[in-house]
Order: sequence, then C-alpha cells, then structure tokens
Amino acid sequence: MRLINAIWSDIKFQIKQGFYLVYLIITIMYLIILSMLPENVLTIALPLVVFSDPSVLGLFFIGGIILLEKSQGVLMVMVVSPLRTQEYILAKAISLALVSAIAAIAITALSPINNVNWFLLILSTILTAGLFTLSGIMINAGCNNVNQYMVKTIPYMLLFVLPSFSLLGFEYSYLFTVVPSVAALRLLLGAYHGIIWYEALGLTLYLLLMNYIFFRYSVKIFENKIVYQD
Amino acid sequence: MINLIHIKNDLKQVFRDPVMSILMLAPLLIVVVFKLLIFFLFPFIATKFNFEFSLYYQYLMAGILILISGMLGIVIGFMMLDDKDGNIAELMAVTPLGRSGYLVNRLSFSSILCFIYSIIAIYVLNVIDVPFYTILLLSLLSAIYSIIIGLLIFSGADDKVKGLTFAKGLNMLGIFAFSDLFALNWFSILSLIFPTYWITRIIESPHSVSAFLIGTSIHIIWLSYLIYRYLSKK
Repeated sequence: MRLINAIWSDIKFQIKQGFYLVYLIITIMYLIILSMLPENVLTIALPLVVFSDPSVLGLFFIGGIILLEKSQGVLMVMVVSPLRTQEYILAKAISLALVSAIAAIAITALSPINNVNWFLLILSTILTAGLFTLSGIMINAGCNNVNQYMVKTIPYMLLFVLPSFSLLGFEYSYLFTVVPSVAALRLLLGAYHGIIWYEALGLTLYLLLMNYIFFRYSVKIFENKIVYQD
Repeated sequence: MINLIHIKNDLKQVFRDPVMSILMLAPLLIVVVFKLLIFFLFPFIATKFNFEFSLYYQYLMAGILILISGMLGIVIGFMMLDDKDGNIAELMAVTPLGRSGYLVNRLSFSSILCFIYSIIAIYVLNVIDVPFYTILLLSLLSAIYSIIIGLLIFSGADDKVKGLTFAKGLNMLGIFAFSDLFALNWFSILSLIFPTYWITRIIESPHSVSAFLIGTSIHIIWLSYLIYRYLSKK
C-alpha cells in the first residue's frame, strides 16, 4: 500500500511538473518527423526514437527530482517516515517507466507501422526505463546541482550508447549484448521486426537481472551517498 | 565597474568549477565532432546509401548553431535557477547591481560565448557560403537565442525539475529550423514565429534584407517579451 501511494504521489508530482504535457508535445513533434520518412527508413528510425528518448527519459529527469527533493528536505522526512528506501526508489522507477511506456505506445500507435508486438514493446520500454532511471540515481551521488549531474551522465551515456552500434553487425558483435543497453535495444527492435521467442525470453531475463542488480546497488548508493552523505 | 567585477566573478566561478568549464567548452567539442563527421561519415554514407548530405548543409549549419546556443542557454538557465534556490538572485537585487544588472551579467556571459562559438563553428565547419556580415548576424541571433532559452528556463521554471522539463520541451524548438523539409504548409506557417526558423532562412538567403529584418525582429520580440516578463514579476 505504501508503494502504491508513493507511486501515485510521484505520478501527481510528474503531472504537476509538466512531464506528461512536455511528452505530448515531443510525441507530436516526433510524429511529424516520422511521417516524412519512407517505410523502409521508418522501421529503423522508429525503434531508435523510442529507445533514445522515451526509454531514457528517467535518466534525464531523476537527477533533477532527487536534487529538488534533497533541497526541499523531502529525503530527511523520508528517513523518519515508514516509507523504506527500496519503496521510494521503486516508486520513482515505476512512475517514470509509466511515462516512458505511454510515450512509446503513443509514438508507435500513431506511426504508419504494422506488425508491432505490443507486449514486447511495453516490456522492453519498461525494462530500459528502469535501467536508465536506476543509473541516474547512482550518478546523482555527489552532485550538488543539475549542471554537475548533466556532465556526470555523459560518460555513462557513452558507455550505454557506443556499444549499441554493435547492432550494425560484425564478427562477434553479439558479445556486446552483455551491455544492458544493447540487450534492451535488441529486445526493442524485436518488438518491431520480430524476434525468436527464446532470444526474447533470454534478453528479458537478463534485463530483469540487470534491473535487480542496478536496483540493489542504487538503494545502497542512495542511502550511503545521498541521504546520509558518508 | 560593478558589472565588470561581477563578470570577472562569473568567469572565476565557471573556470574554478571543472563541471562548468566542461559545459562551457562543450560547444567547441560539438564543432570538432561535426567536422569529423563531415570528413569521414558523410562521404561513407554518400557512397554506401547514395545519400548526398551536402544538399542539406544549410540545415546542418542551422542545427549546429541552434544546438550551441540552446546548450549555453540551458547551462546559464540552470545556473540562474541554482541562484534562485540559494537566494542569490534576491541578494543581488538589493545590491547596487539590482535585478536587471544581475540579469544582464548572467545572460551577457552566455551570449558573448555563444557569439564567439558561432563564428568559430561557421568558419571551422565551412559548409555554407555566406558573406562576413551574414556570419556576424547569424552569430548575433544565436547569442540572442541563447538568452531566450536561458530566460525561458529561468522565468518559466520554479524549480530544477520544471527546469529540466522546460529544457526538454525547448529542445523541440529546434525542429522549426527544418520545417521546410516537412512540406507541411501549416507547419511552415507556424514556424515563422519561432526564432530557429529564421536561422535557416538567413543561411538559405544570405543577401535577403527581408529575411534579415524579419528574423532579427522575431528574435527581438521574443527577447523583449521575456525581459519584460522577468522585470514585471514580483
């Protein structure tokens, strides 16, 4: 119940901050751009748009959210409230993943593309969003302002994005799937282009495991470096 | 004199903080990256996919100028939001510098950098053929655009998160620079009121007086409205 309340209050906060409105505008803009592309380009561009924007929005916003809550004293209140750190972080990850999933569904549904595996699309978007939001929490440790946070995200983004080029395909390129972002992009591409069921299952299990590891690690970092600042 | 001391302090603040230094120098990195792309990636794409990038260089140049000014505008916007959170903006308002002096100092810092970086970007990338006075005008408009972005974030956002939401949305203003590519009549008409559209338009018609005048007017209207909004805000 505490978790549901925390998620609901995060969603209300995000609506108040204009997340949904801004993503409505962004979705319209993407649709305008995507509508101009020929079908063969669209099938490649659409998954890349979904992966590069809605799926990673958590990384962009979580830094500001935590810094704001820190400056408002929310984190101090949380320490003495019944809400556990795990629930606080999970609520953030789930509520941001919801924005990601809605934006991804809207962009895909309104684009002229057929044969989308909606279950895989939603699953891969949520798992990717989780990874990036949890990474954002870890990156946030030691940051005092948004500019610092933005600079600190650059190496992490490079670490996530550069291996994704392995999907272009070369010898042993599948080995790069060990990088969570590559696994996430493979699963997302599978939602649009089709994927063998056991590969989808393997990628899903791997991403679930990575999300769990990121979650445990972000809880630890959040408590030690952000709340108590040891 | 006070202004000069304040600008000197701003410079110290920026270059003492490695993070701020990186952010302020990032536009130069963007220029280098694009130069490398033009040298290596674009010819590769041209031969492999038979797609000629050089036909779209005016859009590329406009996009880079908007990227540079947008980036500096966002950085300065967040710097001012931090000042707001730390009550530094209020503190400045009661000094001889005043509210407007504080604003001028903060924004002139990013706009001067933007002006210089824009000239560097145009000369280094060397993808458009425009006279020197057009380069100066484009750099001036980019500088004004960075102020517009900084002001939109600072005056529109109450806190950091809203600032991020604004920054995300403001990135989308760049799309108006490419509106002619979409061949949508309503979208092209809508673009006329956005500063970013006029950057492309001036690059496309470097000798057009009407493009110069309307483009500059649009930038000044946006800037004047935002300054008025800031100063009239209690």
